[in-house]
Amino acid sequence: MGVFFIKVIKRRIHMLVMMLLVLFALMIAYSCYSVYFYGGRWVSNPYNPRISSQKQNVIMGTVTDRDGTVLAYTDESGTRCYNSSKETRMAVSQVVGDSTGKVSTGVDTFHAQYMLGFRSSVFERLADAFTGTPQRGDDLQLTISERLSRYITEQFPSGKRGAVVVLNYKTNEILAMVSMPQFDPTDMESALADEDAGALINRATQGLYPPGSTFKIVTLASALQNLPDLEEFAFDCTGYYPVGNYSVTEASAHGVQSLSDAFIHSCNTAFASLSQDLGYGMLGATAEALGFNENFMFGDLIVYNSSYPIDDLSAEDLAWSSIGQGRVLATPMHMALIAATIANDGVMNEPHLLRAITTAQGGSRKLPGSFSGKRVLSEEIAARVEREMIRTVKSGTGTRAALSDGYTVAGKTGSAEASDDKSIESHAWFVGYITNDNAPYAISVLVENGGSGGSVAAPLARKTLQKAINLGL
Amino acid sequence: MARRQEVYTAKAKRTVKAEAPEDGAVSAKYKKAKDKGGKTAAGRTAEKEVTKKSAEKKTAARSDSRTKAASPGRRTAVPKAVRVLPAQEKRKAVRRTAAARCAEPDEDKDERRLAAMHRRIQRKEKKEATVFRDRKRAVSRAGDARVTLIALLTLLFEVLGLLLAAVRTEGTVDMQAVMLCAVVAPVGLITSLLLPRVLPIDSLIMALTNFLCGVGLVILYTVAPERGVRQAQFYVAGLVLMIVIGVMVSRMRRFRGITLLAMVLGIMALVLPLAFGEWNNGAKNWVELPVVGSFQPSELVKLSLVLALAYYFSAHRTVFQMMPAILFAAACLVLLMLQRDLGTALIYYLTTLVLFYAACGNVPLTMLGLCGGAGAAVLGYNMFAHVKVRVAMWRNPWSDPLDKGYQIIQALLAIGSGGLFGVGLGQGTPEKIPAYYNDFIFAVICEQMGLVFGLLLLLVYVLLILRGVTVISRSRRSFDMLLGCGVLAMIGIQTFMIVAGVIKMIPLTGVTMPFLSYGGSSLMSCMAMIGILHGISGRAQENLEEDVLTSRV
Repeated sequence: MGVFFIKVIKRRIHMLVMMLLVLFALMIAYSCYSVYFYGGRWVSNPYNPRISSQKQNVIMGTVTDRDGTVLAYTDESGTRCYNSSKETRMAVSQVVGDSTGKVSTGVDTFHAQYMLGFRSSVFERLADAFTGTPQRGDDLQLTISERLSRYITEQFPSGKRGAVVVLNYKTNEILAMVSMPQFDPTDMESALADEDAGALINRATQGLYPPGSTFKIVTLASALQNLPDLEEFAFDCTGYYPVGNYSVTEASAHGVQSLSDAFIHSCNTAFASLSQDLGYGMLGATAEALGFNENFMFGDLIVYNSSYPIDDLSAEDLAWSSIGQGRVLATPMHMALIAATIANDGVMNEPHLLRAITTAQGGSRKLPGSFSGKRVLSEEIAARVEREMIRTVKSGTGTRAALSDGYTVAGKTGSAEASDDKSIESHAWFVGYITNDNAPYAISVLVENGGSGGSVAAPLARKTLQKAINLGL
Repeated sequence: MARRQEVYTAKAKRTVKAEAPEDGAVSAKYKKAKDKGGKTAAGRTAEKEVTKKSAEKKTAARSDSRTKAASPGRRTAVPKAVRVLPAQEKRKAVRRTAAARCAEPDEDKDERRLAAMHRRIQRKEKKEATVFRDRKRAVSRAGDARVTLIALLTLLFEVLGLLLAAVRTEGTVDMQAVMLCAVVAPVGLITSLLLPRVLPIDSLIMALTNFLCGVGLVILYTVAPERGVRQAQFYVAGLVLMIVIGVMVSRMRRFRGITLLAMVLGIMALVLPLAFGEWNNGAKNWVELPVVGSFQPSELVKLSLVLALAYYFSAHRTVFQMMPAILFAAACLVLLMLQRDLGTALIYYLTTLVLFYAACGNVPLTMLGLCGGAGAAVLGYNMFAHVKVRVAMWRNPWSDPLDKGYQIIQALLAIGSGGLFGVGLGQGTPEKIPAYYNDFIFAVICEQMGLVFGLLLLLVYVLLILRGVTVISRSRRSFDMLLGCGVLAMIGIQTFMIVAGVIKMIPLTGVTMPFLSYGGSSLMSCMAMIGILHGISGRAQENLEEDVLTSRV
């Protein structure tokens, strides 16, 4: 009895200890995981008081654009300085950020972990300590082009707010990310004084807008994925489609049309009827595959979550959501990503803002990791959507975005109503890309209360794309 | 020593007597048969004889009570001491027969059986050799290289850390830090390297404890010097308490009286804060006493709980007979709930469950207890507003970053800013984290020394627990085992709860980090628990010494 009892207890204790050890192992794994994935964000968090204290001890690194133009640097006295030309300072203001950390998504704050030497190794710190030089952070080269940014700022409809994002969908580099209005980082008082303007917000990544008709790209992809017999689809648009107690309306009746025609003329009623066939399940699945409701954990930049709500399951909500109205919200950066996804035959990649990180000793540091391409749409569907988008620019609502010299643009316009008040102009959208291999640019243009997408956003997109081609980025 | 020698001779006699029946029990089911048949008729008479003789020889105080009070443990000692000799005899016999059989050509079947038997015996010999080596090592009072290494590392950390803190402000030398170093560093060396030679102390456990306490001290001193000094006082007092408890546990033969006393005192201590305490951070678990100063009774009552559980779960075999301890645990839980000290309540509850399972292995009842706990957790979630807040802040602290989520967010930011190798000792801004010196000390360590160091610290806890398991595995009594198991469960669960809470793996529970957090009550109770482990190792060591001596005959 005695020996047996002791042995049994011993065995049970060993088992319990194994369980405890498993818990400890889980804990260690979890802490590694969270520091690996979120550690950088914790450092650059605006609530982190360590950033400002570290600035006293470390010389902050330099920020340059893709051509080497210096955007921000620290002078001998330790003050943070920005590019000498005011136009340049303004054009890249939200991307670069400011020295006080008011723009939490700016490089000066979000990548402070590099520029303030939080990522320097022990040896680098020791090297600094022995040579007696004060510690210096890393220098960053960004993927954005200062020249393109300045051009976009000049061309943007004056007095309007909004954002333009240009991506290279082959290299996944962000070539320009402009948000209007802008501020001057050397004159923060006036930016802070005029808080209503919201110049400190990067509208490209933090602005959540109803995507309007540009969301029809998603609805079309979902329909192609899930509904049979779409080639025989014919819809008689009377300018009016009743759903539940409400109805989806149109400015003018389009008459009987095929799916392709409905897309290039951006027919709301046709897509509302499609959504009733799709239902929340299928449309929601496609939207989420394309990044709605997803927390983008990009290594280089913070992009706010776009949302496609599926909690209210009413039919009219579904109808409105299929045309990007109601409670559907997206950032211009996300819409540019969707265009880049179609351009990449349905593969979504992580966009990059950092081109190179150079240490104070001249070595280069590894860029933050990115997820490898994620297939979100099949190749056939992406090709079909591309065909419709090319038709839209050729003969539909987006004709003003067309380029000459053999460049083919695929795109979709949108005029999103942000208010029930008809006197307030709608948000003008254009989302698209150049199909040519020698100019792989995807673009997303948003002009707040700018009017119709075809007449306001599409021309701006054309000019921007033309400039990008001329610059040969 | 002379007295002990007598016991050994008496034992050796018994060994000879017990040999005959033991030899008969050899078979393929050798081991099992021995477990069950350990107490053969001859063995029993031998035991009685010895008891009588030793009683006459005035060794009664120790040997008699041992045989009577903890009879299950005693019984086990008899066959174990005897085991080595008859096994060797038997082996020789088998070898002889095997040789004889091999001489004449026989059937394959027989040969295979013999070979298998041979292998079995070889395995057994190997195992016994390992056990013997382990015992010898356990008994040996010589220095252990591992212990020396850990002790030197501790010394290095303390000296470097405190001297660095001393010269932190340029031009001046902080004499307080130097003094602290001059006190703490030798104390650590003496307790790890010298004291185990004369007192019942497990040197490895001691060295690991010293390491953890040393790290805590240095970190505390760099972030809050006056707290560091206070902690050093608690540390030295805790070491004294640890040694006293260690000696007490290793010498004591009857635990009935002290268990009852501990239970009564425990309940009284838990009522104190409810009667005289003040609400503080939504809990009422502190009390101010005239002589002792302010302390947290729930920390010290952990000892009562472990003692009560181990005592009633070891010898009392039915659930009904275990009731006193279960009722005591339930009363503690209710009192802790009333104090709103839910983190500590959770530790008490889980320890009770762990010991219950270890003692009776009743899976359905343990599961029932677990479900009951889950039910109570849901109830607590709905009853207490601050539990709801804690859970909400665990799920998304960023929803209220400046108020309710501030604590956890600042902890995460500190850990993130530290990166892999930290910003350096004394650097960074740990004081931004609320309660940085007790509950959130792990975040401070991670910021200053880096995540890698933090994880290594966790490994030190793991080593401590593993060493504790080794120690309690050597003991021969279920009471010792359960007592040690309770101590290890307390320390392990508490460490897991606070570290996992700080890294946002589970909702935050306001408990201290054993050995590292600032706080007299917490440190004292942890030191006392380590003292219990020392005591158990001392008790087991006596048994082992007897084994080693008798097996050399």
